[in-house]
Amino acid sequence: MSDLRSSIESATSARKKWRLPAIAFAILLIAGIAFAATRGGGADPGAADGAPVRGGTLQFALIDYQRSPDPQWGTNYAESLIGNNITDKLTWQDPKTGEITPWLAQSWEYNKDLTEFTFHLRRDVTFSDGSPFNAEAVKANFDQYVHGDPSLGILPNGATLLPGYLETRVVDEYTAVVRFEKPLASFLQASSFTANAQPGFLSPSTLKLSAQQRTDPKKVIGTGPFVYESWEPQAKTVLVKRNGYNWAPPALRHQGEAYLDRIVFNTIPEASVRTGSLVSGTIDATLDVGTTDEKPLSAQGFEILHRGVSGTAIRFDFNSSLFPTNDIAVRKAIQLGWDRQTVQKTILTDSYSVANSILEPSVPGHVDYSGSVLKYDPEQAARILDEAGWVTGPDGIRVKEGKKLVVKLLGINNLVVNKPAYESIQQDLRKIGIDLQLTVVPIPDYTAQQAKAKTDWNVVAANRSRNDPAVLNLQYGPQNGNGAYVTKDSTGVDADEVTQVLGRLETTLDPAARTQYAKEAQDILLDKYALVNPVYNPSQVIAQAPYVHGIVFDAQSRNHFVDTWKSDGK
Amino acid sequence: MLRYVALKAGRAAFVVWAAFTLTFVLLFVLPANPVDLLFDPTELNSVPPEVRAQVADSYGFNEPVLLQYLGRLGHALRGDFGTSVQSGQSVSAVVLDVLPHTLVLAVGALLLALVIAFAIALVATSTRHQWLRNLVESLPTASVSVPVFLSGILLLQIFSFKLGWFPSFGDQGWRSLVLPLITLAIPVSGPIAQLLVRCFAAEFRSGYVTTSWAKGATRSRVVVGDVFRNASLPALTIAAVTFGNLVAGSVITETVFARKGLGRMTQTAINTLDLPLVQGIVVFVAVTFALINLVVDLIYPLLDPRLRATFAVPTGPSGGLRRTS
Repeated sequence: MSDLRSSIESATSARKKWRLPAIAFAILLIAGIAFAATRGGGADPGAADGAPVRGGTLQFALIDYQRSPDPQWGTNYAESLIGNNITDKLTWQDPKTGEITPWLAQSWEYNKDLTEFTFHLRRDVTFSDGSPFNAEAVKANFDQYVHGDPSLGILPNGATLLPGYLETRVVDEYTAVVRFEKPLASFLQASSFTANAQPGFLSPSTLKLSAQQRTDPKKVIGTGPFVYESWEPQAKTVLVKRNGYNWAPPALRHQGEAYLDRIVFNTIPEASVRTGSLVSGTIDATLDVGTTDEKPLSAQGFEILHRGVSGTAIRFDFNSSLFPTNDIAVRKAIQLGWDRQTVQKTILTDSYSVANSILEPSVPGHVDYSGSVLKYDPEQAARILDEAGWVTGPDGIRVKEGKKLVVKLLGINNLVVNKPAYESIQQDLRKIGIDLQLTVVPIPDYTAQQAKAKTDWNVVAANRSRNDPAVLNLQYGPQNGNGAYVTKDSTGVDADEVTQVLGRLETTLDPAARTQYAKEAQDILLDKYALVNPVYNPSQVIAQAPYVHGIVFDAQSRNHFVDTWKSDGK
Repeated sequence: MLRYVALKAGRAAFVVWAAFTLTFVLLFVLPANPVDLLFDPTELNSVPPEVRAQVADSYGFNEPVLLQYLGRLGHALRGDFGTSVQSGQSVSAVVLDVLPHTLVLAVGALLLALVIAFAIALVATSTRHQWLRNLVESLPTASVSVPVFLSGILLLQIFSFKLGWFPSFGDQGWRSLVLPLITLAIPVSGPIAQLLVRCFAAEFRSGYVTTSWAKGATRSRVVVGDVFRNASLPALTIAAVTFGNLVAGSVITETVFARKGLGRMTQTAINTLDLPLVQGIVVFVAVTFALINLVVDLIYPLLDPRLRATFAVPTGPSGGLRRTS
């Protein structure tokens, strides 16, 4: 700045009086924020239990959103969860015992072959557009659910749930017979299925609509305890109570309509915003609670609800026809070679558990293998590898016939604890000379890679929610999912035996026989051929304010809100 | 002049066509079979082959690639990008549905960023205290280096969870916009402010300013009356270019504040490899950018008399045209 200019400038009188108040104001503002920040929100102190209160709106948060309001379409958690509250199923599976109990079907019988299932329907059920729920509606739903409708853009969503579906026969208005080409014992459980792409019943008027028209939520009509009020992709879905609803599953012991007037399913992708909104009282309950948030939330008085996702554990499926996992010694060593305590203590919370079988403990027929093949025994693992001719190389990784013991794993990163759990296993296995190489990627990459799993990957990690032991046949039966890629050429594996043993699960509904078959299936998968290494049981975790009551976890660990109420009734 | 317009319009059309073709090629180079993506990955092995064939057929994935390309191009020319694989909705409808939300966010943040930038430049120029000038001049650098994710969460912690002044998620009128706008405007204001500070300083030292001083103008009169007007134009130019960054930045802002919008939709579409949707979004964004550039190209001669003169004197095709960006 020139001297001339400075002199001109300093000649002008400065008016500085505003500055002091401004600084004072700024200090006050900062102090105010700091004070408010230290005060903390906290939940309302425990409201009393007691008689359910009618009315109120439940503000619920979850990570995902419904991409379409059509419940038969959706393959994410939000879609199945919301779909369960606007539609009903034929049967209800008791989440504790696994027993199939009545719902829209009052009773049922099946033929000896388990290829024909006859359902006797309730007579008082209507869709929310007033049309009756009857055998015709069951037929129209199942036909479209399995076959899809290309002219309407409807995908064959149910093709994987109901394999070998032939037809539904309408015997009379309230009797429907569902027929399959092969025995399908697991269909009885499938008739209660509440997870992805579920068989929730839609009104005949909805079935006539194209996929695009079904994105108008007002036209998606079910028989459920709630009906759509609005659907905003990416943001929220609002359900309101269905007046006159009176057919909740008898096992729930809930009479009549839902207690809540309205449920708002808010999509909040960011974990800290979900918990922050819960603590500040903007929402009443949230799903998808992170493992690190559980403790702080319960310390602040929020209730943590959780249920393991029934079905298979998160597991490593070994590719039994690809080197080196075609060697049973390698598979057995991996089962024995990692410390489950470490995973439970350092990675999981109390809401999760380390797997002691391929089946999650709540699935009927579950057997505990934690004392035998699924224990931590690095010495034995090393011995098995030694005996099989795997010699430790200079870098600590074992070698056989010039080839290294490198096991390539493909996994999904959709659950937060997956990668840390796999990394813990990786470290332990390295100690006994196995190089487990992890590729844990988002779902589309996983899907793309999985199509090449037979030739490219030794281990594919996944889970499946299906609360029926026949899930083992669906996932590992060589003629079904064939998760372990068992072929006639698999070394040391009798493919016919696997087919037969797993296939038996579809041939009986006698509880004692099923328990026996489920044990044989687990024996052959875990012990005899070591085709799978179960890791941990995933869980669905909810945090809720103390005034929220009666959120139900069903057998697939999805939530139902027909029995939910808020003691403040707001 | 006509030749100039045709040239610029042709270039815009080429950009859009190239975006369409590139995404199409990418989709088919990707390792995934589009049919696989329609099913739950854990059930992929149990999908019967006839079901797979039926689905491929209904989406047209089994036709020769060239036919698929021409078919899609033909439809796209009529504004039809097919249906989203993940929702069954029409791609154009989905994009047009979320667009206003992103536009409000982007335009609002841009305006706010300009206000912040001008405020910084004005303070830096008009203050006579070296320490204040240094402090203010360091703000743009700081604002660029704070991750949007972090500032968003911080703002939420204070103004939403603790003070309860603004909603923490969703869309509840103007109050839902305040925090996302601030979050998005902070990093965008940085580059604009830096440019402004430099321009202001340069203008402040120029001859006509000294003349004003000599005529007895006050400091504020000089800054507002002379410097502000003349130093603002470059900032407006860069603001238009920054618009692209805003759309990109909206992905994180929309995720943190759980707002619906194009950013989050793009992310979901890519995460689920919803191919028709990805293509629709890419082409749409390309159209927007091509249009903005075209408009700027066409307006430029109207604003700058020197440029108009080049049309009068034939100096070869678009000779002497100055276009930055």
